[in-house]
Amino acid sequence: MKYMILTYASQQDYDGMAGKATGQQAWSAEDFAAMGAFMERFNKDLEESGELVETRGLGAPVHTRRVGGGLDKGVPVVTDGPYAETQEVLAGYWIVECDSFDRATEIAARLGHTPVPGHVAARSFADVRPIAESRAELEL
Amino acid sequence: MPDTEVEDLLRQLAPQVLGAVIRRYGQFDIAEDATQEALMAAAVQWPNDGIPDNPRGWLITVTSRRLTDLLRSDQARRRREDTVARWTLSGEWRVPAADLPPADADDTLILLFMCCHPALSPASQIALTLRAVGGLTTAEIARAFLVPEPTMTRRISRAKQHIKSSGIPFRMPPVAERAARLGAVLHVLYLIFNEGYASTSGPTLQRTELAAEAIRLARMVHRLLPDDSEVAGLLALMLLTDARRPARTGPGGELIPMAEQDRSLWNAEYIAAGVALITGALPRGATGPYQLQAAIAAIHDEAPTAEATDWPQILALYELLMRISDNPVVALNHAVAVAMVHGARAGLDLLEEIKADERIAEDHRLHAVRAHLLEMTGDRPAARDSYQAAAQRTTSLPQQRYLHARAARLC
Repeated sequence: MKYMILTYASQQDYDGMAGKATGQQAWSAEDFAAMGAFMERFNKDLEESGELVETRGLGAPVHTRRVGGGLDKGVPVVTDGPYAETQEVLAGYWIVECDSFDRATEIAARLGHTPVPGHVAARSFADVRPIAESRAELEL
Repeated sequence: MPDTEVEDLLRQLAPQVLGAVIRRYGQFDIAEDATQEALMAAAVQWPNDGIPDNPRGWLITVTSRRLTDLLRSDQARRRREDTVARWTLSGEWRVPAADLPPADADDTLILLFMCCHPALSPASQIALTLRAVGGLTTAEIARAFLVPEPTMTRRISRAKQHIKSSGIPFRMPPVAERAARLGAVLHVLYLIFNEGYASTSGPTLQRTELAAEAIRLARMVHRLLPDDSEVAGLLALMLLTDARRPARTGPGGELIPMAEQDRSLWNAEYIAAGVALITGALPRGATGPYQLQAAIAAIHDEAPTAEATDWPQILALYELLMRISDNPVVALNHAVAVAMVHGARAGLDLLEEIKADERIAEDHRLHAVRAHLLEMTGDRPAARDSYQAAAQRTTSLPQQRYLHARAARLC
């Protein structure tokens, strides 16, 4: 069974990670390195257990183009940067293939141990959602 | 289509469906309710409309939809944050993924391990096993245990809540714990059987539906773990004991002791199956308590008459059993075997030692055995007193009637 683990961040969080304080504290170089090392280990463990399908981090929310929401003279509307600075949006995901929802939850729970500055840790969370692989599963 | 065919199929599929749904969506407690509702829907629809082409798929689909509905109303009722389970990382975080989809057989076993989790009380383990693995309704379980349905409903929901809040994941216990956890599962099945075979309370001596259910579940575990000798031993013990059921009560429901039973009424098919199981299990390594008890039951069952019983062999087996189990009932049965081999006096001497064990000092069985042995020695007044003492200590009406009748014969 496949599950998606999703993590979220705002543009301000991205700025903090980039070492810029815009409403949030900036991360130190050590903070950033510790998180990177943890993520490498986390992904490597998942690869070794054979449970990782893929993982990606997304670019900063400011680089978002929203397409749609109606037509303007028969042409889809494209909006640049539709998010507010503090709005938390999808920041990265893992797709894992494992034997149960409980196991996927356990994997996501390990993310709770990511070393991050205190003000970030307090409001970090991850969502775990089952992936519907086919129309039949979607209808379940 | 006969209803029993549908019912047999549903009871067999129940743990597979629940297992599949818990794997995908977690939520043991709500998934269990949803499965029961799907089973009930099938029990109503299938006898009329026919069994669907893929009955398991049908049940999983209906259960999943129901689970979604139940979850939504549950989430709407409360704010989620305050009740989520605490997820702690297990020591063996990097478990290898199974490349193959999990077998249904695994799901049934995992469910048994969950329902018989040591964190639950024996009463909860029994109730949850009968419902989640056995597919019995709460009303049926309440009836079998002679408690009001609301009581059983509370017991089951508390047990489910406990599993949920302890965050016990849906997976096989770690290898190091597996033997002990299987021991707990077998003990629960044994308790269910015993409650059915020798009801501890109520107007009838036996509640055959419980004994039959215990045998069905033990057969299932034996199918899943065919090489486990203690599983085979437990199933053999149940069959060899239940074989005597037709002769164990008279027409008025009165208790008939083994020595006086009409052995032609014993279930020959069960005896043959039980003997074959225990004969196959005994040479396969470590001999546990269920195998020894089954071997003893087999000797009783194979004796053509009570007088022809091979008591020395039974005594030898009880001595082995005493070495591996600290159980006062085993000690009591051992004393009976000693009396049959070395005379009633020797048995009575042992009872004096057993009496010091407070776990059994006030049990009617101790007094009943003493009464029988005193009767064998010819001490009628003492035997009568012991029969009466035993009768005062049992809550089973048929046993009370039997013991009073024995006492009255000695007046």
